[in-house]
Amino acid sequence: MTSPLRLSFDVDCAPDHAFSVWTSKFGTWWPRDHTVSGDATEIVLEAGPGGRIYERTAAGTRHEWGEVTVWEPPRRLSYLWHIGRERDTATEVAITFVDEGGTRTRVEIEHTGWEALGDDAEAWRDKNRGGWDALLPHFVAAVTGGS
Amino acid sequence: MPSADPFDALGDPNRREILRLLSEGDKPVHEIASALPISRPAVSRHLRLLKDAGLVAERADGNRRIYHLEGGGVQAVRDYLEGIWGEAAARFRLVAENTAPPTRS
Repeated sequence: MTSPLRLSFDVDCAPDHAFSVWTSKFGTWWPRDHTVSGDATEIVLEAGPGGRIYERTAAGTRHEWGEVTVWEPPRRLSYLWHIGRERDTATEVAITFVDEGGTRTRVEIEHTGWEALGDDAEAWRDKNRGGWDALLPHFVAAVTGGS
Repeated sequence: MPSADPFDALGDPNRREILRLLSEGDKPVHEIASALPISRPAVSRHLRLLKDAGLVAERADGNRRIYHLEGGGVQAVRDYLEGIWGEAAARFRLVAENTAPPTRS
């Protein structure tokens, strides 16, 4: 069983605004250097269940990053996430916006679903001699957020 | 923090095969190349990417370059992800706190 990578922080605004910025303004804050093309002109998170997450380059090429699976504004949002990789190796990102008195929100991020990568790790382990024996425990800990 | 995404590095079957080969023991480039159905320049490109991702490292042995699995590189995977999320969180806060929130009474 793999455990998630977790991150949480507070933000000085109401949950509905936080949710709105996370989704409809996704392209304004997502780190520009963490894209597939490196020169994306547009980064979009479409509203609603099934909404696509993608980047578009100046040349018009579209790279799919993921797909919204849970859309419950302003409380919960989840999406499949496979930026730079095939969709069948998607991990899952779940974000919870916790109301802390109307003007402050706690944002909790859980990045889970490392099993897809774990399958690869297992395949490697089958053929393994030497190196990966020492490497795998660290590798699994690294990608699962275990310590 | 590695300069290339370790998940990208792991996303290619040739690069995974290189890692598997190196798990059997340290190897020079020509030995890796002869075990793969791709050109030697292509192998060199894959090795460079794996190196940038912190998953392999090299050492000089005379005029040969010997490659080995980089054990510390796995920590790089976690560092990389935490770096991305940390930066994303900081940028998200800036935008959220500096755009007019919906008025409510």
